[in-house]
Amino acid sequence: MKYALFPGCVLEGAAAEAYTSLKKVCEKLNIGIEEIPNWTCCGASHAQGVNDLAALAVNARNISIAEHMGLDIMTVCNTCTLQLRVAKKRLDEDKALREKVNKILKDSGHPYEYKGTSKVTHFLWILDEHPELLKGKVEKPLSGVKVAAYYGCHILRPEEVMKHGESNQNAVYMENLIKALGAEPVPFSASHKCCGFHAQLAAEHDVLTVTGQIVDSADKAEAAAIVTPCPLCQMQLDMYEPEGRDAVGSKAEVPVLHLQQLVGFALGLSKADMGFDRHVSGQKKLKIG
Amino acid sequence: MDMNLKIHRFVEGKKWVQDYKLTVKTGMTVLEALTEVKEKQDPTLSFTCSCRSSICGACAVRVNGNAELSCEVLVETLMKRYKTDTLVIEPLGNFKVIRDLVVDWDPKYATIKKIKPVIEPKKEFSLETGCKQSPEEFNKFKKYAKCILCGSCVSECNKSALNQEDFLSPFVFVKAERLVADSRNRSPQEQLKAIVEAGLWRCFNCQECTAKCPKGLDPAGAIEKLKESTFAHKLDDNVGARHAKAIYDDISDSGTLDESKLNIKSEGLIMAALRAPMAVRLMRTGKMNPMNGHPVNPEIETIRKIVKNAEAASKEAE
Repeated sequence: MKYALFPGCVLEGAAAEAYTSLKKVCEKLNIGIEEIPNWTCCGASHAQGVNDLAALAVNARNISIAEHMGLDIMTVCNTCTLQLRVAKKRLDEDKALREKVNKILKDSGHPYEYKGTSKVTHFLWILDEHPELLKGKVEKPLSGVKVAAYYGCHILRPEEVMKHGESNQNAVYMENLIKALGAEPVPFSASHKCCGFHAQLAAEHDVLTVTGQIVDSADKAEAAAIVTPCPLCQMQLDMYEPEGRDAVGSKAEVPVLHLQQLVGFALGLSKADMGFDRHVSGQKKLKIG
Repeated sequence: MDMNLKIHRFVEGKKWVQDYKLTVKTGMTVLEALTEVKEKQDPTLSFTCSCRSSICGACAVRVNGNAELSCEVLVETLMKRYKTDTLVIEPLGNFKVIRDLVVDWDPKYATIKKIKPVIEPKKEFSLETGCKQSPEEFNKFKKYAKCILCGSCVSECNKSALNQEDFLSPFVFVKAERLVADSRNRSPQEQLKAIVEAGLWRCFNCQECTAKCPKGLDPAGAIEKLKESTFAHKLDDNVGARHAKAIYDDISDSGTLDESKLNIKSEGLIMAALRAPMAVRLMRTGKMNPMNGHPVNPEIETIRKIVKNAEAASKEAE
């Protein structure tokens, strides 16, 4: 099993621990990953609001490089996944648009055309579709550890682009994975809510309020940690947790883990292996790893 | 097969959840279930409906947390989706409730007025010649003219749940794009100005509106189109637009986001300086290191050309 990895910008920056932990976990699970050479930002859910065709062409380029590698694409960020899958869907379904974008790529000197031969999937979906990957690998089952599964928006919505499992509106595949790691998913009312990351600057008070509400909701559910498949949600909930607390008058402090970190702990990897020292919140509270 | 309905009741200030039981019939919609309760078990239950054909938009309610057109969705579909024989039915979210499942549309209609929802025809049109447009021009907005005002898009809108005073409901943005993209419109600039002021850039991009629209109108996509139009009309002097532009420009500058400069580009130096405590926090945990230079993609010249050529092609299409 091998994928072309689209890491996304934050894995090279503020969420670098998400990249180091992913590499270690994929090695343990025998998932081959090869970074897409010279990939660019997916547009971060903002570029299409400046120029839609440019954002589309940039992602056509990203996907075409993976196609040239002969591999499907793995992502670890909800927003990157959505942006790439939206581009793929539009290009696959609209021949005239595909020709237009391929002309832009060719005229710009890009060597590959977009063909539509590579799928775009997420690390969480791969683990869900291939439960055999974890078989015999869970060295340290997370017995008794209560975990709040926080999906974030862009892995769930819109369903016509992000369909996974029986129903996105009742998605439980992350909870199933948490159980497979030996931990206990807690009922968590904010599981499918939005962290507000993309409007942090434009609607700051509301975003900090919802950040506080989500963390408080996990705390009330007695979760020892929140786990998310999206580094943007992770950054919002972890980095802004103190401001979130102030916004809602809560005392809740809950560690917020990248999905691959939780998997890593169950595989016997340590906090240092998973880069947990780079987290802002819950440093002293996490009892696993 | 039997089912349980837990219906959120609200009558004259009193709230409670009322249980009903009924037998599921093949092809039974949620509206038929509600109607059966009203006709055979409890005439005091209030809800709205009209066409029973997914056209009028009067019957939307929230079922197990998600907005649905009750005349369209089958009880069996929802029981299968949620793996349960119990459906919890509430009024739409982010609406004021009048009684039981009946919500108040008047405040929502009032917000439509904020976007100046009329088209002033271009000067070349007259009573004699009419306001003609080509099929291509019509196709640019016809999707957004299909909104049935059911309110499903606002029910789970994450921004609306926090504050509706500085934001429009998603269907209002759909209406706005329908007007702005209409080739007969003399002054989309005025509408765009009003839309920016009414909260265009405060959208969380949570995609709930697009996920819930029973007509597949993609309100989140309409919001993105409106944002694009604000750049074309030079209405981009606000923090949301500057942030989007900073991200967009980073693709051409280096290929990837330069996180250390994003806030300065979006908010300006003074506002960004006020965020110094956050920067210190991030530096302490190693999340940010201003001493690290930002790498430039080895294929940056090609990437710049792709962006430029795409911009030229979009202009041509206009």
